[in-house]
Amino acid sequence: MATIVRADVTRELVAPWAEWERRYTQGRRLLEAGTYALTEGAIAAGCRVFAGYPITPATDIAEYMSKRLPEVGGYYMQCEDELAGMHACAGASLGGLKAMTATSGPGYTLMHDAYGWALTNEIPLVVVDAMRVGPISGITGAPGQGEFYVARYCTHGGNFETIVLSPSSVQEAFWLTIDAFNLSERFRTPVTILTDQVVSDMWEDLFIPDAYDALDFIVPRKHNLMMPFFPLGTADLDVPPNLVGQGTGVCVSAYTHTEEGYDIEEMEAQWAQTYRLVNKIRHHRAELARYETLGLEDAEVVAVAYGADARTVKTAVREARRRGLRAGFVRPITLWPFLDELFARDCHYVVCELNYDGQLVREVTRAAPDKGKVHFMGKSAELHTVAEVVAGLEGVARAGRIPELPYIWTEVR
Amino acid sequence: MNRLARKYLRPSQIPTKACHGCGIGMIENWLLQAIDELGLKQEDVIFGTGIGCVGRQTFATWGGDNFGATHGRALAVATGLKLAQPDKKYLIVVGDGDAAAIGTSHLIHAARRNLGVVVICEDNMGYESTGGQFSPTTPAGYVTNSSPYGMVEPPFDPCDVVQAAGATFVAETTATQWHQTVKIVKKALQNDGFSFVHVRFPCNENFGAYALGTRDTGKNLEWIYEHTQGRKADGSAADFTWATGIKHDASNSRPEFTKILRDVNARVRAKAEAR
Repeated sequence: MATIVRADVTRELVAPWAEWERRYTQGRRLLEAGTYALTEGAIAAGCRVFAGYPITPATDIAEYMSKRLPEVGGYYMQCEDELAGMHACAGASLGGLKAMTATSGPGYTLMHDAYGWALTNEIPLVVVDAMRVGPISGITGAPGQGEFYVARYCTHGGNFETIVLSPSSVQEAFWLTIDAFNLSERFRTPVTILTDQVVSDMWEDLFIPDAYDALDFIVPRKHNLMMPFFPLGTADLDVPPNLVGQGTGVCVSAYTHTEEGYDIEEMEAQWAQTYRLVNKIRHHRAELARYETLGLEDAEVVAVAYGADARTVKTAVREARRRGLRAGFVRPITLWPFLDELFARDCHYVVCELNYDGQLVREVTRAAPDKGKVHFMGKSAELHTVAEVVAGLEGVARAGRIPELPYIWTEVR
Repeated sequence: MNRLARKYLRPSQIPTKACHGCGIGMIENWLLQAIDELGLKQEDVIFGTGIGCVGRQTFATWGGDNFGATHGRALAVATGLKLAQPDKKYLIVVGDGDAAAIGTSHLIHAARRNLGVVVICEDNMGYESTGGQFSPTTPAGYVTNSSPYGMVEPPFDPCDVVQAAGATFVAETTATQWHQTVKIVKKALQNDGFSFVHVRFPCNENFGAYALGTRDTGKNLEWIYEHTQGRKADGSAADFTWATGIKHDASNSRPEFTKILRDVNARVRAKAEAR
């Protein structure tokens, strides 16, 4: 006999756009693609340079940008490769313009060189990675979630933290892109929007507010025109980015630097730089928390998913509750820094993600109180079905494990 | 410190850590002379470098704004920066690795786009800061620490590459040609487009020691000079000749890349306003 489970469960969305959506209601309602929303979000945020290399499923962002940027006095540049694309974005941002690039896994890999340079030199910019199934070129038109860790470790060498956000709808892609630009300005760092083929290619209802310059929550570009150019050894937020081209004498280097930007080979300098790059993010983790939850007040088994995959998983949680399961749902929107606090509840977790190797599940396992209660449902190249996730939740609730299902992997080593 | 160094360089960053007898400091002095003769100020010029001997020994020496890119990507950074700061002069001072190996694709496309920068490719014919391995500009047959039996690959001339790609000013010179180099750099800076200046210079510590068998600065400079003349001091023919001087001058003959983009913007916005 089914237990009586509350249907009117609490849905919580913690993200700045929960408020933005309430405050801005004048605008256009469109049927548009995720790539369109990502583009318009960037334009609204003040992006004036796009430099990149076309790649499925991010190509449409490049095409939209090539049309939109000249209209707002911006510049579209189609580069010889992704290395050039992201370096050019970093150059443009150093020159005082907000910049974005967009790619998929194969191009994201090529950007690691520039990512490290921009990150170490505290250059704000936004990178969209529309993930497709891999490895390597994989299937261009199929979604994947293989860059969860790659986005965290987006360059070599360690000694840094990264900010990675992931939207799960076309509408959210619009607001989240503005948020990504704001965070990149405030934290002086590149921000990755880790989306996927489904969100970027999907057409959906989209509200676009009128008059972008009336949006009061956009963080404008400010300019630092004096020493210290690099506030090493501090975790301060809202330090204006450096501006090259005004004769301030700023130096921007690929090596460990002093506060002037000079190369230096000393342990103390390395330590001070690392302190800055790590702690400006770690010390402000609370400012970075964006997530959605459902039914956590009574949940015994919580489904965890992000991006497009969270859509069917969320529907499955509602279906499971209808069937009498105390099911809950957690969708991290901020993927990095990882929101350990979302997994404080001592219960079963069923982690659904679009890869067979298990990535998100490893972080949930690390954060959860009881590692034995974290279960993996890996799938690849297409979203989980509602039926699959319901079967997984029921299996865990009744037998403590995911039943055998075709195309679902449950083992994580 | 000489007058030009005092006027343009950053006292705390010079002298550089370059090896004894390295040509990098001398060439930089010639760049300053060209800048000075054109009446440019510190704030008029953005100084961009890469990785390797040339990048590391020149980065932050310039008293104005500097950037030191990842290996090979100085031109990629400069392309974005030029969009945002179009009115500045750009000196992109890189080595043969940056320009002719790891960053060649950016070099070609910056030339094709006619990006308004001056590339000074200071070429010591190998990777000397990593201990003397051959590069795409090491003469064929010469011994380096990664070609102990002689360089088996044919080299290429980066001037030919950029000219084919559409550079509007291309010149080749060496560390043995002071006045010619200053004249060339001045012309390069007056081109509102892509200028490429290839400057060969000696490395005593590695190329000199392993390829030429000497760490003597004079002898290594002499070896370069002989190859600009095609004959040795004793009158016999050199094994090859480098033709130096201006190789292609189509300065200001076609629009600079970022100007084209600004013109597109003006056209698009004028059309939108007319509607």
